[in-house]
Amino acid sequence: MTSLDHGKFTRMTTTFHALLGLDVFILFFTGYGIMFNDELWWLAELMGGTAGVAAVHRVAGAGLIALIVFWIVLMVITPTGRSNFREILLTREDIEAMIQDVKFMLGRADERHPNALQFAGGKADEVPLLTYIGKGVVYIFSVELTLLSISGLLIWSKTGVMEVYATRTAAMAFVVFHGLLGVIMVMGIMFHIFEHGFHPAFYPLEPKAFIPRSMIPEDHSGNGEWGIEKLELSPSWHWVTTVMGVLTVIGIVSFLVGSIFDEGYPVPRELVIGGGPTSLLMTIGINIGVFVLFVGIVLSMYGNVLRVRWEKELAQRQEEGETVAADGGEPSDD
Amino acid sequence: MSTNEQNREVLGQGVMNVGEGARIFPDVEACIDCGGCVVACKRTWDVGPQEQRISISTMLEGQEADEGFNHRSSQALAEGASPGETSIPMQCYHCENAPCVSVCPVDSLIKKENGFVEVRDDLCIGCQYCLSACPFGAPQFPDSNDGSAQVFGTGGTMDKCTMCEERQHVGKGPACAEECATDAILVGDAAEIADEMEKRGSAPFFNDQAMEIIFGEEAGEFS
Repeated sequence: MTSLDHGKFTRMTTTFHALLGLDVFILFFTGYGIMFNDELWWLAELMGGTAGVAAVHRVAGAGLIALIVFWIVLMVITPTGRSNFREILLTREDIEAMIQDVKFMLGRADERHPNALQFAGGKADEVPLLTYIGKGVVYIFSVELTLLSISGLLIWSKTGVMEVYATRTAAMAFVVFHGLLGVIMVMGIMFHIFEHGFHPAFYPLEPKAFIPRSMIPEDHSGNGEWGIEKLELSPSWHWVTTVMGVLTVIGIVSFLVGSIFDEGYPVPRELVIGGGPTSLLMTIGINIGVFVLFVGIVLSMYGNVLRVRWEKELAQRQEEGETVAADGGEPSDD
Repeated sequence: MSTNEQNREVLGQGVMNVGEGARIFPDVEACIDCGGCVVACKRTWDVGPQEQRISISTMLEGQEADEGFNHRSSQALAEGASPGETSIPMQCYHCENAPCVSVCPVDSLIKKENGFVEVRDDLCIGCQYCLSACPFGAPQFPDSNDGSAQVFGTGGTMDKCTMCEERQHVGKGPACAEECATDAILVGDAAEIADEMEKRGSAPFFNDQAMEIIFGEEAGEFS
Protein backbone atom coordinates (compact mmCIF):
# COMPACT_ATOMS: atom_id res chain seq x y z
CA MET A 1 0.00 0.00 0.00
CA THR A 2 1.17 3.50 -0.76
CA SER A 3 -0.43 6.87 -0.41
CA LEU A 4 -1.29 6.56 -4.09
CA ASP A 5 -3.81 3.90 -3.13
CA HIS A 6 -5.93 6.57 -1.56
CA GLY A 7 -9.34 5.46 -0.43
CA LYS A 8 -12.02 6.54 -2.84
CA PHE A 9 -15.15 4.43 -2.34
CA THR A 10 -17.11 3.15 0.61
CA ARG A 11 -17.46 -0.57 1.23
CA MET A 12 -20.97 -0.43 -0.17
CA THR A 13 -19.75 1.20 -3.37
CA THR A 14 -16.99 -1.33 -3.88
CA THR A 15 -19.43 -4.22 -3.35
CA PHE A 16 -21.92 -2.60 -5.72
CA HIS A 17 -19.20 -2.03 -8.32
CA ALA A 18 -18.17 -5.68 -8.20
CA LEU A 19 -21.77 -6.92 -8.50
CA LEU A 20 -22.59 -4.44 -11.27
CA GLY A 21 -19.45 -5.45 -13.14
CA LEU A 22 -20.28 -9.16 -12.88
CA ASP A 23 -23.86 -8.57 -14.01
CA VAL A 24 -22.85 -6.37 -16.94
CA PHE A 25 -20.26 -8.93 -18.06
CA ILE A 26 -22.93 -11.64 -18.08
CA LEU A 27 -25.19 -9.31 -20.09
CA PHE A 28 -22.37 -8.67 -22.54
CA PHE A 29 -21.41 -12.32 -22.95
CA THR A 30 -25.02 -13.36 -23.56
CA GLY A 31 -25.96 -10.29 -25.59
CA TYR A 32 -23.00 -10.50 -27.94
CA GLY A 33 -23.34 -14.26 -28.13
CA ILE A 34 -26.73 -13.46 -29.65
CA MET A 35 -25.73 -10.43 -31.71
CA PHE A 36 -22.60 -11.94 -33.21
CA ASN A 37 -23.99 -15.45 -33.23
CA ASP A 38 -21.85 -16.52 -36.19
CA GLU A 39 -18.55 -15.10 -34.91
CA LEU A 40 -19.23 -15.98 -31.27
CA TRP A 41 -21.20 -19.23 -31.64
CA TRP A 42 -19.05 -20.81 -28.95
CA LEU A 43 -19.94 -18.04 -26.50
CA ALA A 44 -23.67 -18.47 -27.09
CA GLU A 45 -23.25 -22.20 -26.47
CA LEU A 46 -21.31 -21.54 -23.25
CA MET A 47 -23.95 -19.09 -22.03
CA GLY A 48 -26.84 -21.51 -22.25
CA GLY A 49 -27.13 -22.45 -25.91
CA THR A 50 -30.06 -21.49 -28.10
CA ALA A 51 -32.54 -22.63 -25.47
CA GLY A 52 -30.96 -20.78 -22.56
CA VAL A 53 -28.92 -17.80 -23.74
CA ALA A 54 -31.91 -15.45 -23.93
CA ALA A 55 -33.13 -16.62 -20.52
CA VAL A 56 -29.70 -15.97 -18.94
CA HIS A 57 -29.64 -12.54 -20.60
CA ARG A 58 -33.06 -11.71 -19.18
CA VAL A 59 -32.18 -12.92 -15.68
CA ALA A 60 -29.06 -10.75 -15.77
CA GLY A 61 -31.21 -7.89 -17.08
CA ALA A 62 -33.57 -8.29 -14.14
CA GLY A 63 -30.50 -8.32 -11.88
CA LEU A 64 -29.29 -5.08 -13.44
CA ILE A 65 -32.61 -3.37 -12.84
CA ALA A 66 -32.62 -4.61 -9.23
CA LEU A 67 -29.11 -3.19 -8.75
CA ILE A 68 -30.11 0.15 -10.27
CA VAL A 69 -33.20 0.45 -8.08
CA PHE A 70 -31.17 -0.54 -4.99
CA TRP A 71 -28.55 2.08 -5.80
CA ILE A 72 -31.07 4.87 -6.38
CA VAL A 73 -32.75 4.09 -3.05
CA LEU A 74 -29.36 4.06 -1.32
CA MET A 75 -28.42 7.40 -2.84
CA VAL A 76 -31.63 8.94 -1.56
CA ILE A 77 -31.94 7.51 1.96
CA THR A 78 -28.34 7.58 3.23
CA PRO A 79 -26.29 10.69 4.11
CA THR A 80 -23.26 9.20 2.34
CA GLY A 81 -25.39 8.58 -0.73
CA ARG A 82 -26.62 12.15 -0.76
CA SER A 83 -23.08 13.47 -0.34
CA ASN A 84 -21.90 11.16 -3.15
CA PHE A 85 -24.61 12.65 -5.32
CA ARG A 86 -23.11 16.09 -4.68
CA GLU A 87 -19.67 14.68 -5.47
CA ILE A 88 -20.66 13.66 -9.01
CA LEU A 89 -22.20 16.98 -9.98
CA LEU A 90 -20.22 18.75 -12.68
CA THR A 91 -18.64 21.99 -11.46
CA ARG A 92 -17.01 25.01 -13.05
CA GLU A 93 -13.64 23.58 -11.99
CA ASP A 94 -14.33 20.46 -14.04
CA ILE A 95 -14.84 22.57 -17.16
CA GLU A 96 -11.62 24.42 -16.35
CA ALA A 97 -9.87 21.06 -15.88
CA MET A 98 -11.04 19.90 -19.30
CA ILE A 99 -9.73 23.06 -20.94
CA GLN A 100 -6.46 22.88 -19.00
CA ASP A 101 -6.00 19.23 -20.03
CA VAL A 102 -6.28 20.20 -23.68
CA LYS A 103 -3.73 22.95 -23.11
CA PHE A 104 -1.52 20.45 -21.21
CA MET A 105 -1.63 18.06 -24.16
CA LEU A 106 -0.68 20.90 -26.48
CA GLY A 107 2.20 21.88 -24.22
CA ARG A 108 0.63 25.21 -23.21
CA ALA A 109 0.11 24.33 -19.53
CA ASP A 110 2.73 23.23 -17.02
CA GLU A 111 0.52 20.93 -14.98
CA ARG A 112 -2.90 19.36 -14.87
CA HIS A 113 -5.78 20.91 -12.98
CA PRO A 114 -6.58 19.41 -9.51
CA ASN A 115 -9.94 18.27 -10.92
CA ALA A 116 -8.04 16.08 -13.39
CA LEU A 117 -5.81 14.47 -10.76
CA GLN A 118 -6.64 11.05 -9.39
CA PHE A 119 -3.76 10.48 -7.03
CA ALA A 120 -1.47 13.44 -7.09
CA GLY A 121 -0.78 13.27 -3.41
CA GLY A 122 -2.63 16.56 -3.14
CA LYS A 123 -4.60 17.52 -0.09
CA ALA A 124 -8.16 16.26 0.18
CA ASP A 125 -9.62 19.73 -0.04
CA GLU A 126 -7.78 20.44 -3.30
CA VAL A 127 -8.34 17.18 -5.11
CA PRO A 128 -12.01 16.18 -5.46
CA LEU A 129 -13.28 12.63 -4.95
CA LEU A 130 -13.88 12.24 -8.67
CA THR A 131 -12.02 13.81 -11.55
CA TYR A 132 -14.04 15.23 -14.40
CA ILE A 133 -13.18 12.02 -16.27
CA GLY A 134 -14.50 9.92 -13.38
CA LYS A 135 -17.70 11.96 -13.36
CA GLY A 136 -17.99 11.42 -17.12
CA VAL A 137 -17.69 7.66 -16.63
CA VAL A 138 -20.47 7.75 -14.01
CA TYR A 139 -22.71 9.87 -16.29
CA ILE A 140 -22.10 7.86 -19.44
CA PHE A 141 -22.56 4.44 -17.80
CA SER A 142 -25.66 5.64 -15.92
CA VAL A 143 -27.35 6.95 -19.08
CA GLU A 144 -26.36 3.88 -21.09
CA LEU A 145 -27.56 1.40 -18.46
CA THR A 146 -30.84 3.28 -18.00
CA LEU A 147 -31.59 3.37 -21.73
CA LEU A 148 -30.53 -0.25 -22.19
CA SER A 149 -32.79 -1.31 -19.30
CA ILE A 150 -35.79 0.60 -20.66
CA SER A 151 -35.37 -0.65 -24.22
CA GLY A 152 -34.67 -4.16 -22.94
CA LEU A 153 -37.88 -4.17 -20.90
CA LEU A 154 -39.86 -2.95 -23.90
CA ILE A 155 -38.40 -5.72 -26.04
CA TRP A 156 -39.11 -8.27 -23.30
CA SER A 157 -42.73 -7.22 -22.89
CA LYS A 158 -44.67 -8.03 -26.02
CA THR A 159 -47.89 -6.58 -24.69
CA GLY A 160 -46.77 -3.62 -22.62
CA VAL A 161 -46.51 -1.15 -25.46
CA MET A 162 -48.33 -3.11 -28.13
CA GLU A 163 -50.15 -0.10 -29.54
CA VAL A 164 -46.94 1.64 -30.53
CA TYR A 165 -44.65 -1.37 -30.66
CA ALA A 166 -46.58 -3.66 -33.00
CA THR A 167 -45.36 -1.98 -36.11
CA ARG A 168 -42.47 -3.01 -38.25
CA THR A 169 -40.77 0.35 -37.82
CA ALA A 170 -41.08 0.29 -34.04
CA ALA A 171 -39.82 -3.30 -33.79
CA MET A 172 -36.80 -2.47 -35.91
CA ALA A 173 -36.20 0.75 -34.00
CA PHE A 174 -36.10 -1.08 -30.65
CA VAL A 175 -33.80 -3.75 -32.02
CA VAL A 176 -31.41 -1.23 -33.56
CA PHE A 177 -31.45 1.03 -30.51
CA HIS A 178 -30.83 -1.71 -27.95
CA GLY A 179 -28.19 -3.42 -30.06
CA LEU A 180 -26.22 -0.36 -31.07
CA LEU A 181 -26.37 1.17 -27.59
CA GLY A 182 -24.93 -2.09 -26.29
CA VAL A 183 -22.09 -1.79 -28.77
CA ILE A 184 -21.42 1.79 -27.71
CA MET A 185 -21.32 0.68 -24.09
CA VAL A 186 -19.04 -2.29 -24.68
CA MET A 187 -16.54 0.00 -26.38
CA GLY A 188 -16.55 2.16 -23.24
CA ILE A 189 -16.18 -0.87 -21.00
CA MET A 190 -13.19 -2.12 -23.00
CA PHE A 191 -11.55 1.27 -22.55
CA HIS A 192 -12.50 1.23 -18.83
CA ILE A 193 -10.80 -2.16 -18.43
CA PHE A 194 -7.65 -0.93 -20.13
CA GLU A 195 -7.64 2.37 -18.27
CA HIS A 196 -7.89 0.84 -14.79
CA GLY A 197 -5.93 -2.33 -15.37
CA PHE A 198 -2.79 -1.00 -16.98
CA HIS A 199 -1.88 2.20 -15.19
CA PRO A 200 1.87 2.03 -14.46
CA ALA A 201 1.38 2.86 -10.78
CA PHE A 202 -1.27 0.21 -10.18
CA TYR A 203 -0.70 -2.51 -12.79
CA PRO A 204 -2.31 -5.04 -13.00
CA LEU A 205 -5.28 -3.38 -11.28
CA GLU A 206 -6.26 -0.12 -9.61
CA PRO A 207 -7.59 -1.30 -6.24
CA LYS A 208 -9.54 1.87 -5.46
CA ALA A 209 -12.81 0.39 -6.73
CA PHE A 210 -12.29 -2.85 -4.81
CA ILE A 211 -10.73 -1.88 -1.47
CA PRO A 212 -12.95 0.47 0.55
CA ARG A 213 -11.48 3.66 1.91
CA SER A 214 -12.12 2.46 5.47
CA MET A 215 -9.34 -0.09 4.93
CA ILE A 216 -6.76 2.28 3.46
CA PRO A 217 -4.24 3.60 6.00
CA GLU A 218 -3.64 7.32 5.75
CA ASP A 219 -0.22 8.73 6.45
CA HIS A 220 0.14 12.37 7.33
CA SER A 221 3.57 12.03 8.93
CA GLY A 222 5.29 13.37 5.85
CA ASN A 223 8.17 10.93 6.27
CA GLY A 224 7.57 9.50 2.80
CA GLU A 225 7.18 6.02 4.13
CA TRP A 226 4.09 5.56 1.96
CA GLY A 227 5.24 7.65 -0.98
CA ILE A 228 5.75 7.11 -4.69
CA GLU A 229 9.38 6.16 -4.14
CA LYS A 230 8.14 2.83 -2.78
CA LEU A 231 6.73 1.94 -6.19
CA GLU A 232 8.53 -0.19 -8.71
CA LEU A 233 7.36 -0.50 -12.30
CA SER A 234 6.57 -4.13 -12.98
CA PRO A 235 8.99 -5.61 -15.52
CA SER A 236 6.08 -7.00 -17.55
CA TRP A 237 4.14 -3.72 -17.67
CA HIS A 238 5.60 -2.48 -20.96
CA TRP A 239 4.88 -5.45 -23.15
CA VAL A 240 1.62 -6.48 -21.47
CA THR A 241 0.24 -2.95 -21.74
CA THR A 242 1.29 -2.69 -25.37
CA VAL A 243 -0.35 -6.01 -26.22
CA MET A 244 -3.52 -5.19 -24.27
CA GLY A 245 -3.66 -1.72 -25.81
CA VAL A 246 -3.52 -3.23 -29.29
CA LEU A 247 -6.11 -5.89 -28.41
CA THR A 248 -8.41 -3.24 -26.91
CA VAL A 249 -8.23 -1.10 -30.04
CA ILE A 250 -8.81 -4.14 -32.29
CA GLY A 251 -11.73 -5.24 -30.10
CA ILE A 252 -13.38 -1.82 -30.08
CA VAL A 253 -12.99 -1.34 -33.84
CA SER A 254 -14.18 -4.89 -34.62
CA PHE A 255 -17.29 -4.58 -32.47
CA LEU A 256 -18.13 -1.24 -34.07
CA VAL A 257 -17.54 -2.42 -37.64
CA GLY A 258 -19.22 -5.77 -36.98
CA SER A 259 -22.35 -4.10 -35.62
CA ILE A 260 -22.65 -1.97 -38.75
CA PHE A 261 -21.90 -4.67 -41.31
CA ASP A 262 -23.44 -7.73 -39.66
CA GLU A 263 -26.69 -8.11 -41.58
CA GLY A 264 -29.91 -8.67 -39.66
CA TYR A 265 -28.96 -7.53 -36.19
CA PRO A 266 -28.72 -4.98 -34.79
CA VAL A 267 -29.11 -3.26 -38.13
CA PRO A 268 -32.07 -4.58 -40.16
CA ARG A 269 -31.39 -5.85 -43.66
CA GLU A 270 -32.90 -2.77 -45.30
CA LEU A 271 -30.61 -0.42 -43.42
CA VAL A 272 -27.40 -2.41 -43.39
CA ILE A 273 -24.36 -0.87 -45.04
CA GLY A 274 -22.38 -4.00 -45.84
CA GLY A 275 -24.18 -7.21 -45.05
CA GLY A 276 -23.36 -10.69 -46.17
CA PRO A 277 -21.20 -13.21 -44.39
CA THR A 278 -18.57 -11.83 -42.08
CA SER A 279 -14.94 -12.29 -42.94
CA LEU A 280 -12.34 -14.27 -41.03
CA LEU A 281 -10.67 -11.03 -39.93
CA MET A 282 -13.93 -9.75 -38.48
CA THR A 283 -14.43 -13.03 -36.63
CA ILE A 284 -10.92 -12.83 -35.16
CA GLY A 285 -11.40 -9.15 -34.24
CA ILE A 286 -14.72 -9.71 -32.47
CA ASN A 287 -13.27 -12.67 -30.58
CA ILE A 288 -10.35 -10.44 -29.53
CA GLY A 289 -12.92 -7.96 -28.21
CA VAL A 290 -14.51 -10.71 -26.13
CA PHE A 291 -11.05 -11.66 -24.87
CA VAL A 292 -10.58 -8.09 -23.63
CA LEU A 293 -13.92 -8.37 -21.81
CA PHE A 294 -12.79 -11.70 -20.38
CA VAL A 295 -9.62 -10.02 -19.07
CA GLY A 296 -11.94 -7.45 -17.50
CA ILE A 297 -13.98 -10.00 -15.57
CA VAL A 298 -10.77 -11.74 -14.44
CA LEU A 299 -9.35 -8.41 -13.21
CA SER A 300 -12.63 -7.69 -11.44
CA MET A 301 -12.38 -11.01 -9.62
CA TYR A 302 -8.70 -10.27 -8.88
CA GLY A 303 -9.77 -6.98 -7.30
CA ASN A 304 -11.96 -8.87 -4.88
CA VAL A 305 -9.09 -11.27 -4.16
CA LEU A 306 -6.88 -8.26 -3.37
CA ARG A 307 -9.43 -6.97 -0.89
CA VAL A 308 -9.65 -10.33 0.86
CA ARG A 309 -5.87 -10.57 1.06
CA TRP A 310 -5.61 -7.04 2.43
CA GLU A 311 -8.30 -7.76 5.00
CA LYS A 312 -6.29 -10.79 6.15
CA GLU A 313 -3.10 -8.74 6.31
CA LEU A 314 -4.80 -6.05 8.38
CA ALA A 315 -6.16 -8.71 10.74
CA GLN A 316 -2.71 -10.23 11.03
CA ARG A 317 -1.13 -6.85 11.82
CA GLN A 318 -3.76 -6.21 14.44
CA GLU A 319 -2.94 -9.54 16.04
CA GLU A 320 0.73 -8.65 16.03
CA GLY A 321 -0.08 -5.33 17.72
CA GLU A 322 0.77 -3.13 14.75
CA THR A 323 -2.10 -0.79 15.42
CA VAL A 324 -2.07 2.23 13.16
CA ALA A 325 -4.31 5.15 14.04
CA ALA A 326 -6.42 6.81 11.40
CA ASP A 327 -4.02 9.75 11.39
CA GLY A 328 -1.04 7.50 10.92
CA GLY A 329 0.11 7.85 14.52
CA GLU A 330 1.45 5.06 16.69
CA PRO A 331 0.23 4.23 20.20
CA SER A 332 3.74 5.10 21.43
CA ASP A 333 3.32 8.69 20.24
CA ASP A 334 0.86 9.42 23.06
CA MET B 1 -72.20 -23.54 -73.37
CA SER B 2 -73.96 -23.08 -70.06
CA THR B 3 -73.29 -20.22 -67.72
CA ASN B 4 -71.61 -22.59 -65.26
CA GLU B 5 -69.22 -23.82 -67.92
CA GLN B 6 -68.39 -20.25 -68.87
CA ASN B 7 -67.67 -19.49 -65.20
CA ARG B 8 -65.39 -22.50 -64.93
CA GLU B 9 -63.41 -21.19 -67.86
CA VAL B 10 -63.16 -17.75 -66.37
CA LEU B 11 -62.20 -18.65 -62.81
CA GLY B 12 -59.01 -20.56 -62.18
CA GLN B 13 -58.13 -22.91 -59.33
CA GLY B 14 -56.57 -21.63 -56.16
CA VAL B 15 -53.33 -23.45 -56.86
CA MET B 16 -52.00 -22.23 -60.20
CA ASN B 17 -48.29 -22.79 -59.92
CA VAL B 18 -46.01 -24.38 -57.30
CA GLY B 19 -42.31 -24.62 -56.52
CA GLU B 20 -39.63 -21.98 -56.91
CA GLY B 21 -40.98 -18.43 -56.93
CA ALA B 22 -44.50 -19.45 -55.92
CA ARG B 23 -46.37 -16.99 -53.70
CA ILE B 24 -49.40 -17.51 -51.45
CA PHE B 25 -52.09 -14.88 -51.01
CA PRO B 26 -55.69 -14.73 -49.73
CA ASP B 27 -58.75 -13.72 -51.74
CA VAL B 28 -60.87 -12.49 -48.84
CA GLU B 29 -64.02 -12.18 -50.99
CA ALA B 30 -63.93 -15.96 -51.49
CA CYS B 31 -63.26 -16.98 -47.88
CA ILE B 32 -66.30 -18.31 -46.08
CA ASP B 33 -64.61 -19.00 -42.74
CA CYS B 34 -65.20 -22.74 -42.97
CA GLY B 35 -61.93 -23.66 -41.29
CA GLY B 36 -61.02 -26.23 -43.93
CA CYS B 37 -57.56 -24.73 -44.37
CA VAL B 38 -56.86 -24.93 -40.63
CA VAL B 39 -57.92 -28.57 -40.48
CA ALA B 40 -55.92 -29.46 -43.60
CA CYS B 41 -52.79 -27.86 -42.21
CA LYS B 42 -53.10 -29.49 -38.81
CA ARG B 43 -53.80 -32.88 -40.37
CA THR B 44 -50.94 -32.66 -42.85
CA TRP B 45 -48.28 -31.44 -40.44
CA ASP B 46 -49.61 -32.87 -37.19
CA VAL B 47 -49.87 -29.40 -35.66
CA GLY B 48 -50.86 -29.59 -32.01
CA PRO B 49 -53.90 -28.08 -30.34
CA GLN B 50 -51.95 -25.12 -28.96
CA GLU B 51 -50.99 -23.82 -32.37
CA GLN B 52 -52.34 -22.85 -35.76
CA ARG B 53 -49.97 -22.27 -38.64
CA ILE B 54 -52.90 -20.76 -40.50
CA SER B 55 -55.86 -19.11 -38.85
CA ILE B 56 -58.88 -17.25 -40.13
CA SER B 57 -59.28 -13.77 -38.74
CA THR B 58 -62.88 -12.59 -38.97
CA MET B 59 -63.59 -8.90 -38.56
CA LEU B 60 -66.92 -7.15 -38.00
CA GLU B 61 -68.52 -10.52 -37.38
CA GLY B 62 -72.27 -10.56 -38.03
CA GLN B 63 -72.30 -7.04 -39.42
CA GLU B 64 -73.60 -6.06 -42.82
CA ALA B 65 -71.47 -4.09 -45.17
CA ASP B 66 -72.43 -0.61 -46.27
CA GLU B 67 -74.70 -0.67 -49.26
CA GLY B 68 -72.98 -1.82 -52.43
CA PHE B 69 -69.87 -3.16 -50.66
CA ASN B 70 -71.03 -6.61 -49.60
CA HIS B 71 -68.63 -8.37 -51.96
CA ARG B 72 -66.09 -5.59 -52.27
CA SER B 73 -64.32 -5.46 -48.92
CA SER B 74 -61.13 -3.93 -50.28
CA GLN B 75 -62.96 -1.12 -52.07
CA ALA B 76 -64.99 -0.51 -48.92
CA LEU B 77 -61.80 0.02 -46.91
CA ALA B 78 -60.35 2.22 -49.63
CA GLU B 79 -63.43 4.41 -49.63
CA GLY B 80 -63.85 4.54 -45.88
CA ALA B 81 -67.01 2.42 -45.89
CA SER B 82 -67.70 -0.60 -43.70
CA PRO B 83 -66.80 -3.88 -45.46
CA GLY B 84 -69.06 -5.84 -43.12
CA GLU B 85 -68.12 -9.33 -41.96
CA THR B 86 -64.84 -10.24 -43.65
CA SER B 87 -62.71 -13.33 -43.15
CA ILE B 88 -58.99 -13.32 -43.89
CA PRO B 89 -56.89 -16.50 -43.97
CA MET B 90 -53.77 -15.37 -42.09
CA GLN B 91 -50.54 -17.28 -42.45
CA CYS B 92 -46.92 -16.72 -43.47
CA TYR B 93 -46.97 -15.09 -46.90
CA HIS B 94 -43.24 -15.76 -47.42
CA CYS B 95 -42.69 -12.07 -47.98
CA GLU B 96 -40.24 -10.66 -50.47
CA ASN B 97 -39.13 -8.08 -47.90
CA ALA B 98 -39.69 -10.30 -44.87
CA PRO B 99 -39.45 -8.17 -41.72
CA CYS B 100 -38.99 -11.28 -39.59
CA VAL B 101 -35.80 -12.14 -41.49
CA SER B 102 -34.73 -8.55 -41.12
CA VAL B 103 -34.89 -8.47 -37.33
CA CYS B 104 -33.83 -12.03 -36.45
CA PRO B 105 -30.68 -11.58 -34.32
CA VAL B 106 -29.37 -15.10 -34.84
CA ASP B 107 -30.11 -15.56 -38.56
CA SER B 108 -32.52 -18.34 -37.70
CA LEU B 109 -34.95 -16.95 -40.28
CA ILE B 110 -33.77 -16.85 -43.87
CA LYS B 111 -35.29 -15.94 -47.21
CA LYS B 112 -34.15 -18.79 -49.43
CA GLU B 113 -33.26 -18.41 -53.09
CA ASN B 114 -36.34 -20.38 -54.07
CA GLY B 115 -38.51 -17.76 -52.34
CA PHE B 116 -39.50 -19.67 -49.20
CA VAL B 117 -38.96 -18.07 -45.80
CA GLU B 118 -37.61 -20.76 -43.49
CA VAL B 119 -37.05 -20.90 -39.75
CA ARG B 120 -34.02 -22.95 -38.76
CA ASP B 121 -35.10 -24.53 -35.49
CA ASP B 122 -31.62 -25.24 -34.20
CA LEU B 123 -30.69 -21.54 -34.31
CA CYS B 124 -33.87 -19.99 -32.92
CA ILE B 125 -33.47 -18.59 -29.38
CA GLY B 126 -37.13 -17.64 -28.94
CA CYS B 127 -36.51 -13.89 -28.61
CA GLN B 128 -39.79 -13.16 -30.42
CA TYR B 129 -38.45 -10.19 -32.39
CA CYS B 130 -40.07 -11.81 -35.43
CA LEU B 131 -43.41 -11.73 -33.64
CA SER B 132 -43.07 -8.00 -33.19
CA ALA B 133 -41.92 -7.44 -36.74
CA CYS B 134 -44.44 -9.58 -38.67
CA PRO B 135 -47.56 -7.61 -39.67
CA PHE B 136 -49.52 -10.83 -40.27
CA GLY B 137 -49.09 -12.67 -36.98
CA ALA B 138 -47.40 -15.61 -38.66
CA PRO B 139 -44.77 -16.51 -36.03
CA GLN B 140 -46.13 -18.99 -33.50
CA PHE B 141 -44.55 -20.06 -30.24
CA PRO B 142 -46.17 -23.35 -29.27
CA ASP B 143 -43.63 -23.99 -26.50
CA SER B 144 -44.01 -20.57 -24.89
CA ASN B 145 -45.96 -22.01 -21.96
CA ASP B 146 -43.44 -24.74 -21.23
CA GLY B 147 -40.92 -24.62 -18.39
CA SER B 148 -38.25 -21.97 -18.60
CA ALA B 149 -39.80 -20.36 -21.68
CA GLN B 150 -42.84 -19.42 -19.62
CA VAL B 151 -40.78 -18.20 -16.65
CA PHE B 152 -38.44 -16.01 -18.70
CA GLY B 153 -40.83 -15.15 -21.54
CA THR B 154 -38.43 -16.44 -24.14
CA GLY B 155 -41.10 -18.19 -26.23
CA GLY B 156 -39.27 -21.42 -27.05
CA THR B 157 -38.66 -22.20 -30.71
CA MET B 158 -40.66 -20.30 -33.33
CA ASP B 159 -42.89 -22.23 -35.70
CA LYS B 160 -44.83 -21.00 -38.70
CA CYS B 161 -46.43 -21.92 -42.01
CA THR B 162 -43.89 -23.44 -44.39
CA MET B 163 -46.16 -23.02 -47.45
CA CYS B 164 -45.82 -26.82 -47.59
CA GLU B 165 -42.41 -26.56 -49.23
CA GLU B 166 -41.95 -30.34 -49.24
CA ARG B 167 -45.29 -30.83 -50.98
CA GLN B 168 -44.42 -28.18 -53.53
CA HIS B 169 -41.13 -29.91 -54.29
CA VAL B 170 -43.17 -32.87 -55.59
CA GLY B 171 -45.63 -30.72 -57.53
CA LYS B 172 -48.43 -30.50 -54.96
CA GLY B 173 -49.96 -27.29 -53.68
CA PRO B 174 -50.01 -26.25 -50.03
CA ALA B 175 -52.50 -28.36 -48.05
CA CYS B 176 -54.57 -25.32 -47.06
CA ALA B 177 -54.95 -24.12 -50.64
CA GLU B 178 -55.67 -27.58 -52.02
CA GLU B 179 -58.35 -28.10 -49.36
CA CYS B 180 -60.06 -24.71 -49.71
CA ALA B 181 -63.55 -25.29 -51.06
CA THR B 182 -63.87 -21.77 -52.45
CA ASP B 183 -60.29 -21.35 -53.72
CA ALA B 184 -59.77 -18.44 -51.37
CA ILE B 185 -56.06 -19.19 -50.99
CA LEU B 186 -54.22 -18.42 -54.21
CA VAL B 187 -50.85 -19.97 -55.02
CA GLY B 188 -48.73 -18.96 -58.00
CA ASP B 189 -46.42 -16.18 -59.05
CA ALA B 190 -47.41 -12.57 -58.38
CA ALA B 191 -48.70 -12.01 -61.92
CA GLU B 192 -50.85 -15.16 -61.86
CA ILE B 193 -52.38 -14.20 -58.50
CA ALA B 194 -53.05 -10.65 -59.68
CA ASP B 195 -54.68 -11.90 -62.92
CA GLU B 196 -56.84 -14.40 -61.05
CA MET B 197 -58.06 -11.76 -58.62
CA GLU B 198 -58.82 -9.43 -61.48
CA LYS B 199 -60.88 -12.13 -63.17
CA ARG B 200 -62.83 -12.59 -59.97
CA GLY B 201 -63.35 -8.88 -59.48
CA SER B 202 -61.46 -9.05 -56.20
CA ALA B 203 -58.74 -6.77 -54.92
CA PRO B 204 -56.03 -7.21 -52.30
CA PHE B 205 -57.35 -6.62 -48.80
CA PHE B 206 -54.01 -5.33 -47.52
CA ASN B 207 -52.74 -1.77 -47.74
CA ASP B 208 -49.89 -0.64 -49.99
CA GLN B 209 -47.27 -0.98 -47.23
CA ALA B 210 -48.24 -4.60 -46.55
CA MET B 211 -48.35 -5.37 -50.29
CA GLU B 212 -44.84 -3.98 -50.68
CA ILE B 213 -43.66 -6.18 -47.82
CA ILE B 214 -45.24 -9.30 -49.33
CA PHE B 215 -44.48 -8.82 -53.02
CA GLY B 216 -41.69 -6.25 -53.11
CA GLU B 217 -41.39 -4.68 -56.54
CA GLU B 218 -44.02 -7.08 -57.88
CA ALA B 219 -46.69 -5.34 -55.77
CA GLY B 220 -47.22 -3.22 -58.89
CA GLU B 221 -48.91 -6.23 -60.56
CA PHE B 222 -51.95 -5.55 -58.37
CA SER B 223 -52.36 -1.88 -59.29
